[in-house]
Amino acid sequence: MSVSASAEATRLLPRWLLITVTTLLVAMVLIPVLYIVLASLNSDVGVASGEYWPSSFTLDSYTRIWTTADLSTGIVNSLIVCAFTAVASALLGTTTAYVLVRYSFFGRLTILRGLVGLQSIPGTLMLLPVFVLFSSAGNYLGLTVIGTRWGLFVAYLTFALPFSTWVMVTYLRGLPRELEEAARTEGASTVVILWKIIFPLSLPAIVVSGIFAFLLGWNDVLFASVLTRPETHTAAVALQIFGSQQEGGALPVYSQMMAAALICAAPVVLLYLAFQRYLVGGLTAGGVK
Amino acid sequence: MTTLVRPPASSEAKKEQRRRGVTERQRPLWLLTPGGLLMVVVILIPLVLALWISLIDLDQYTLRRWVEAPFIGLDNFVESFSSGLLNSIWISVSFAVLSTIATVPIGIAAALVTQNKYRGRGLVRAVFLIPYVLPSFVVATVWRTMLQPDGVVNAWLSKVGIEGGLWLTGPRSYWALILVEIWAAWPFIYLMALAALQSVDHEVHEASAVDGAPWWPKLRRVILPYLRGPVLLACLLATLNHINNFTLPFVLFGAPAPEDVNVMPMIVYVTSFQSLRFGLSAAMAVLSLVLIAIPLFIYLRAVRLDVHEEGGRR
Repeated sequence: MSVSASAEATRLLPRWLLITVTTLLVAMVLIPVLYIVLASLNSDVGVASGEYWPSSFTLDSYTRIWTTADLSTGIVNSLIVCAFTAVASALLGTTTAYVLVRYSFFGRLTILRGLVGLQSIPGTLMLLPVFVLFSSAGNYLGLTVIGTRWGLFVAYLTFALPFSTWVMVTYLRGLPRELEEAARTEGASTVVILWKIIFPLSLPAIVVSGIFAFLLGWNDVLFASVLTRPETHTAAVALQIFGSQQEGGALPVYSQMMAAALICAAPVVLLYLAFQRYLVGGLTAGGVK
Repeated sequence: MTTLVRPPASSEAKKEQRRRGVTERQRPLWLLTPGGLLMVVVILIPLVLALWISLIDLDQYTLRRWVEAPFIGLDNFVESFSSGLLNSIWISVSFAVLSTIATVPIGIAAALVTQNKYRGRGLVRAVFLIPYVLPSFVVATVWRTMLQPDGVVNAWLSKVGIEGGLWLTGPRSYWALILVEIWAAWPFIYLMALAALQSVDHEVHEASAVDGAPWWPKLRRVILPYLRGPVLLACLLATLNHINNFTLPFVLFGAPAPEDVNVMPMIVYVTSFQSLRFGLSAAMAVLSLVLIAIPLFIYLRAVRLDVHEEGGRR
């Protein structure tokens, strides 16, 4: 069967319908997305008066946003906290997942079920006790946790760690065990096997699980809005506060806000573009944004 | 739901189990300790503590010495029902279900149009992923700007002769929330449907092509049944994600939220971090977990947990 004929067989929709649906969907996505770009190149007055296409283009918003809002501090904080979260959850997740996949022991399935279930637990339920624990560390131990970056890092592990572990479980169970068995008969210890075989073989998956952990932190508003103070605000909280200050003021600086939104989205979009092939698989495996 | 039924454990699985026995004696379970210990500290302890907090009278006055806060049994749970929780549950559930129902046809349509190869398909697929890739707080910030009374949405509406009005307060805020959620969440259904579509055997296509069936009966009778199981599973997970979505209403409307969009995560958040009634808020959070437990339980039964076990059977 020729290629074109076999392509013809799998064709599901008539051509006119395919073109119509694709156009509609692409327009639905791109109209708001283009709006971000266009509004960020517009003037603040132009955006506030409801323009879609700017009457004049300017890069002003991108230079002024850094003094209007505390965006640079937010981005630096986000990068630090999320990078630590990513590395910690990817490494610990891989080790934990290896044992979960390769050995059977009492309570194993409960842990696996817990890893999946935890991803659907409301964040508000976790935030409250974390907040109480952190504040009591201040009262009882004299230790300041709330408002610090490492406190936020610990809080992010509640979601990032189970998720990274689950991503690694789905990957490692597809990995053939022959190599490890060969190494074991040669007398290699588990640590050596983990370090010399499992880590190099599953490097792409480890990177993906780290990226997901990074994104969980980067996209979070809930934990950061409670557990940070102005010096430790993350990018998300900086943008949220900046946005909520606009209404009721004299002139809302919406154009600068769109520039800020685009800057906050940029690292995420770049990560996806760079790792698109791997990340899409992870999206459907874990089912978590 | 027939696809969710698990096949019996095969003989191969048993063989696998026996082979496992060889390494049984030298299981390096200590490797679980760093990750496991950390999970106990950051997940298990907070969860148990949340349950405890829901039973004590904890507010800003007792927070400093919360260990000594008075135990009041189920009083917080009783009070949460008179504090508007039922209303929030109704808003959350209806919002989640409506959003899921609306995203299914969009997601499936998107999967169908990107199934066949054509020039530029890669680009279209990348575009379809944009709403999903953008952080929630960015999506909410952008829509918040567009839905302002003088914003671009109302400007366009007035061009076609429709009176705009308020989208971010009042009864319309509910529909604004659903609209934005649909815009942001449909690619998840699309991804799951596309994965299912790609697993359809080529023979199936060829057989129906030989039949000369027109596209609609072929689609409905032959192709769509393949999508039912995966899409149902995706719907379950999507509904859970809608119910738990805090970022979108929080950034879109601010806290406290307008009454019509006072979803469960919002009422829990406002009760604890603005009214500072931590005990009451914990009770609400625990009740919302009970609500989520039903779809979550079905999902855990259906998802593939293990190499040789379809579903979560022990």
